[in-house]
Amino acid sequence: MNLHNVKLVYAREMRDQLRDRRTLFLIAVLPLLLYPLLGMSFFQLSQFMRNNASKVLVLGEEQLAGSDWLPQLFDEDHFASSWFSTPKEQDVLQLVRPDTLWPEGVPIGDALDEAAREAISQGEVQVVLRFPRGFEAQLEAVRESLMNRSQTEPVVLDDELLQTEIIFISANEKSRIAQLRVDDVLRQWRAEVTRSNLAEGNVPITATNPFLIKQNDVSHEQQRHAAVWSKVLPFVLFIWALTGAFYPAIDLCAGEKERGTLETLLVSPAERREIVWGKLLTIMTFSVITALLNLASLGVTAKFILAQFSEIISLPGASALTLPPLSSLIWLVVALLPIAAFFSAMCLACAAFARSTKEGQYYLMPLLLVVMPLMMLPLSPGVELTLGNSLIPVTGVVLLLRSVIEGQYVHALKYVIPVVGVTFGCCLLAIRWAEDQFNRESVLFRESERLDLGRWLTHLFRDRADTPTLAQAILCIVVVSIVQFFVSLSLSAQEGAGTSFHSLAQLLFISQVVCIALPAGLMTLLFTRRPARTLLLDRWPRISHVLAAAGLAVLMFPLGQQFAQWVELLYPVSNEVKEQIAAFSSVMQTAPNWWLPLVLIGLLPAICEEIAFRGFILSGLRHLGHKWWAISISAIAFGMAHFILQQKVSAAAVGLVIGVLAVQTGSLIPCIVFHAIYNSLTVLSVKLAENLEAWMVKQPKLDIFFRTDNQGFFQDWVILVCLCGSAGILWWLHRIPYHRTDEEQLQENLDKQFVGA
Amino acid sequence: MSTESVVVEARSLTKVYADLRRGEFVALDDLSFSASAGEVFGLLGPNGAGKTTALRILSTVLQPTSGSACVNGFDCVTQPSMVRHHIGFMSANTAVYDRMTAWEMVEYFGRLYGMEDDRLHDRMESLFDRLQMQAIRDLLGAKMSTGMKQKVSIARAIVHDPPVLIFDEATSGLDVLVARALLDTVAELRDQGKCIVFSTHIMREAERLCDRVAIMHRGKILAEGSVAGMLAEHQGADLEDVFFSLIQDQDQEPVAS
Repeated sequence: MNLHNVKLVYAREMRDQLRDRRTLFLIAVLPLLLYPLLGMSFFQLSQFMRNNASKVLVLGEEQLAGSDWLPQLFDEDHFASSWFSTPKEQDVLQLVRPDTLWPEGVPIGDALDEAAREAISQGEVQVVLRFPRGFEAQLEAVRESLMNRSQTEPVVLDDELLQTEIIFISANEKSRIAQLRVDDVLRQWRAEVTRSNLAEGNVPITATNPFLIKQNDVSHEQQRHAAVWSKVLPFVLFIWALTGAFYPAIDLCAGEKERGTLETLLVSPAERREIVWGKLLTIMTFSVITALLNLASLGVTAKFILAQFSEIISLPGASALTLPPLSSLIWLVVALLPIAAFFSAMCLACAAFARSTKEGQYYLMPLLLVVMPLMMLPLSPGVELTLGNSLIPVTGVVLLLRSVIEGQYVHALKYVIPVVGVTFGCCLLAIRWAEDQFNRESVLFRESERLDLGRWLTHLFRDRADTPTLAQAILCIVVVSIVQFFVSLSLSAQEGAGTSFHSLAQLLFISQVVCIALPAGLMTLLFTRRPARTLLLDRWPRISHVLAAAGLAVLMFPLGQQFAQWVELLYPVSNEVKEQIAAFSSVMQTAPNWWLPLVLIGLLPAICEEIAFRGFILSGLRHLGHKWWAISISAIAFGMAHFILQQKVSAAAVGLVIGVLAVQTGSLIPCIVFHAIYNSLTVLSVKLAENLEAWMVKQPKLDIFFRTDNQGFFQDWVILVCLCGSAGILWWLHRIPYHRTDEEQLQENLDKQFVGA
Repeated sequence: MSTESVVVEARSLTKVYADLRRGEFVALDDLSFSASAGEVFGLLGPNGAGKTTALRILSTVLQPTSGSACVNGFDCVTQPSMVRHHIGFMSANTAVYDRMTAWEMVEYFGRLYGMEDDRLHDRMESLFDRLQMQAIRDLLGAKMSTGMKQKVSIARAIVHDPPVLIFDEATSGLDVLVARALLDTVAELRDQGKCIVFSTHIMREAERLCDRVAIMHRGKILAEGSVAGMLAEHQGADLEDVFFSLIQDQDQEPVAS
């Protein structure tokens, strides 16, 4: 790759985009206008809420007129000013007398409700406040009873009369606001009445509140801010990163295709890879700039609006809504870069696939549908940074970011490797995909063809190639995981599944044969002209290759155990899973003979999984043109097919080794041998672990090989020897001349083209 | 004209597209031709004869299903980058950028060809003079007329002074004046010793310009030779006559057999 050309392409694309008014509007102007506009409208809304006058119809006002001791509730057309903090609040609550509204007299009972509903619906008043007849007398009685507590005869009070009634319609916004306001005033007034009564009766005011409840939030201020911002900001930032990436991507790929300038560029000496990287960097620049501008605009708007807000509405947690601390912002920007790279690469690949800008725009929605849940997931309560979550693209980054913003650096550090690894892997994959789109003439010069499902299916079968295509290999991965998911779902619903050896054997058989071997086998028969070639079974392997595979399995086993140990140490297995594993092995012990578990766990998966992952899937993936890509992807797919998370990681690592075996030997037999021996050793090691201590007592010399301190199974020197041995065999395998696919051959020639020129 | 210095060579090029309706569509069927330095080789054929496919293979944008093509000693499949360094390609499909001026556009491609800035700018000045493009130097592509765009495309294709030039229906959509100017430029380039592959469906252009022509139909070459030789061999008054009779014969053949 020539960096000079990447720079040239980048510089041109940047200039091109900056000259495009639409792009500039979306990237720069929209965010600068959007938040201030949003802020303004929100501000207007709250102003309306504050200024909107409410009319209160008061019934039975005369009930409060007689007593001097009662605090004054009304003041002519308003409530008295003492119940409000500002004169403005007093102004917006106006009183209406019943004779202006209902001159013929006030209705009673159900008729009152009906009339009130009518009046509120008409907007004549917003609420009706009613004091029942005899209210004042009852209040007087309450006060009397408090003053003359020595009286033996208890005072009888009528609850029916001792209540005020607020009639309102909750479905009506204005009525609801008025109800809240009136309720607030009445509560204050009641508190004042209580205070006055108690003072008169010589009861201390603390009698009503014998003790207080103190809310002591010991979180640091920074922590509280972080809790809010770490949820909101990544979401806002990353959504804009996606939007900022999408539109330039469409313009740079589909747009160029449409305008005919792509072919001009493709006949220039710039390599496809250089073009892709130049465009990718442009898209990423726009993605980052859009996100940052939005963040800045949001920040500035928030700074002005928030201050106003907190005094208008008392939002819960409004105190936390100050600007986020600088350190969180720095972390946010650090996390933005990989996310922007990932989104840009995805958008680029989608856009390169699109024939026209119109078609490109269609892909925004599916892309959003895929990315949104990944960003929403961390927002849901209880989702924390664990190994499983950290392996999900985007989600992992958001969770890691949250931990860092909250200051849990040590906890976050553990998950840096998986998160960075997954993000980096996804980026590379997306970039690779985009590059692939630029290399495929069917994509570059795609003409629209009439869709005809029947013809397409015939074409799929009639024009099938010797080995599966890349798309079919990926389809196989998807089908296997979907079948696995539903079968395991339906099996786990069955009662008593896996509790006896018989049913466990059945489960294992179904999960291997039905979920893995069957889909792969069917697809091989349907989609390929040469099934034996596809499954690497068209010729006998060399004896030396099979022996090498067997030796490698034995040598790799201690390494695998050690690796699994490390994985578990770093990311402990949950107790629930531990119980499942224990239940599994105890059921396995009830096997009728010693070889059946070996067949079920050793041989069966070896055959079924190899047919799928090293047979169909790897054969298809090798059309990528690069064997390491093919091996890695098939290994990840192989890992994903396992059930326990920690197992997935170890299995993916083993999958790499078997992938190398398959490519270098060109035969599935060594792979099956390796897999069967490796799995059988695992079964045997469980037995060994049970009896190890007893044996060690009998044969202390075993101490040379094994250790019992729970730091692993084997002594360090054994591990070291195995490491050297496996490396040696792998090196030997690596040097075997292997069969290359046409794509791999072409790629090698292309890589060599500058040599000697 | 030196016939021994073959610069462009296509050997048994075959291109098959998968087609849902017809199963397989053969765009090129065992196509072979060669062109030398200092000559204009014309590919003549009706629309859909496979001219564009053949030239796209030469320009490394497409890959042949089988067969091979060589440009200046480099293989079009395995050494595409070297091939692209040694050709200038221009077709009706290679548009100019809307949001770039003529000068920027030519400069950009010159740099992609790895030219030093000094040499590039000298070359561009002389090119802009020769093609009378100084007036549109700072005009954006979006505001250019078809003729102006075509001029920019020519400048873009020859800025790095390549030994091989490929013109695919380059005169389509041009008025007589601009087309004539383009043909003159091509003749000039030939006289400089370039190897030029020129596809067209306009017979008069081929008569005027081409040293040798090949008549293509349905992915095959029906006849090949110098214009004078063709007229003599097939007893036609002009190339158009020859073209018609050849294609008619070919179309009747499958019916007869």
